[in-house]
Amino acid sequence: MKIPDNFLYYLSLHEDCNERLLARAEDLTAGEVEVSLHPEVARIKRMVYAVMGEVHRMKAFVRLSFLGTSVLYGFFKPRHKIGEHICDHFAHRNAGIIVVLGNGSESWVSIFREDRIWQDNGQGLSETLDRLKPALHCTEDESNVESLWQVYYDSQYCPERKNLAAFRRHMPRRDQEAAGLRLVQNKKNITLEGFFSD
Amino acid sequence: MVTLEKIAHLAEECRFDSMGPAASPAVVGVDAEKLSTLGEGTRHDVCASTFSPRETPLPGICHAFTQDGRCVSLFKTLYTNHCTHQCSYCTNAINCSSKARAFSYTPEELAKITLSLYRSNYIEGLFLSSGAGRDEDRIMEKMVETARLLRQKFAFSGYIHLKVLPGSARAHIKEAVELADRVSINLEAASASHMNEICATKNYESDILQRQRYIRDMLSDTAKNTNASLPAGQTTQLVVGVAGESDEDIFKRVLYEYKEIGVRRAYYSAFSPQRGTPFENRKAQPLWREHRLYQMDWLFRVYHFQPGEIRHAFNDNGFLSNADPKMAIAREFMDKILDPNTATFQELLRVPGIGPRSAKRIVSFRKRQAIAAKAELAAMGVRIKRASPFLKINGWRDTTLEMWQA
Repeated sequence: MKIPDNFLYYLSLHEDCNERLLARAEDLTAGEVEVSLHPEVARIKRMVYAVMGEVHRMKAFVRLSFLGTSVLYGFFKPRHKIGEHICDHFAHRNAGIIVVLGNGSESWVSIFREDRIWQDNGQGLSETLDRLKPALHCTEDESNVESLWQVYYDSQYCPERKNLAAFRRHMPRRDQEAAGLRLVQNKKNITLEGFFSD
Repeated sequence: MVTLEKIAHLAEECRFDSMGPAASPAVVGVDAEKLSTLGEGTRHDVCASTFSPRETPLPGICHAFTQDGRCVSLFKTLYTNHCTHQCSYCTNAINCSSKARAFSYTPEELAKITLSLYRSNYIEGLFLSSGAGRDEDRIMEKMVETARLLRQKFAFSGYIHLKVLPGSARAHIKEAVELADRVSINLEAASASHMNEICATKNYESDILQRQRYIRDMLSDTAKNTNASLPAGQTTQLVVGVAGESDEDIFKRVLYEYKEIGVRRAYYSAFSPQRGTPFENRKAQPLWREHRLYQMDWLFRVYHFQPGEIRHAFNDNGFLSNADPKMAIAREFMDKILDPNTATFQELLRVPGIGPRSAKRIVSFRKRQAIAAKAELAAMGVRIKRASPFLKINGWRDTTLEMWQA
């Protein structure tokens, strides 16, 4: 990964970021952060990478479901302060549709329309959805996209290439949980023997 | 910040926009067996990146990984698994005795599934391949129709990769080029004679190479008209080891592809015998062979090594050994020890353990201060264990025999 020019933005989203660190980082260029070996700058670099990594994996792993035709919602519990950023990403991807992301304690709402983003954030995911429902007269989505996906996903596995180490490296359990994924291990094919050999 | 009520109101208004939520159809009643069979039919096709350098570049995102460690970023499927070709390694071929039931999508159905999966963030787009059916032109037309529906009717802005079926008509290829981010024709074999060994029904020159040239010429035509399309270009794929070809045969073919056809990338898929096919009893190729071919490919494409240098990585029979080809080349060519403080970028790139990014970091670091220790190189991403036999820092270097080991 390369440190981007707007690395201060990513640094500010880190859960442990503070004013002092931001002030220190303001004097640095992206190139300096990337190659410097000074312990504090190296820490800034690690923090920027940590946030960028989580942003990337949440864009990949968060799944959305329809509520009626104009709301997409999904479970999402990030470690860093990236809720708004990710919500805006999905709003851009689905113009004209309200995107609601959240968990038990907080939620983010965005809609992209007429070339601009409108945002709100608030209480838990279900409370926010309950408040939206009467305004939009919508019901839960009937089409079961998740089961479609599961069938397709299972069809892509090549047993002769089995490589669980690579699988775990690319889909860390922590990130799967943050994105609310059910662990995608193919449980129905697991045998006791396989369990011990893994 | 606006209120939820305002946001709900904005969404309501979108119903009257031309691109509003009305364009998100629900999929109901898709046959699970069909979805699974047509999905399985593309298991051995490789789609590595969904990055597309459009005007606003589309990022590459892997939405899931299977337990073989490969990413699932696209809805990768066959249009139909019915095929009249007789490729002896393929489970979709007509001469495969344990062939699955024949299925086919309709363009509308496929477009809707793609869109639902895309909206729910399972995929970045569609990767559509197919058996040739009874007539490749008819199937190609349906595949193009699917892409057109997605782009025009459903305003789909995700990634589309279309496979061009060998022997399809120029007019269909042209439409595919206009609609997709990337198109590809699988070479499968390294030469016409190798192709004859594995498939009696495809003509290497006219069905495959000629179609690749069509695409190349279409792209150079569009460049003139400044109507740039196909942002991610054309690619190709080979089955490695099915016809007894050597790595050098593959390298020669791939060189031609990069230089004459202008493919962006070549993909390699190690042969594994499939049940019911005529090649059922042939030996599977080790996966490391595929890995070494990719390394060789990288040396040419990313590190810009000369073909003459890369040839030194092959043994007398034209095969790569199961070791990093860059190390073999470095043993051959790196006759003096480099000082990372003075070496050029190109020289640094030739050191095993140093890649383009770490070479760039070294060049930018030493502008400010001299590199004084190996730990500094390690922090810049250099793999010290591999690189140190070829480097000296401040006149001091590791004494190690590693460099001279076979």
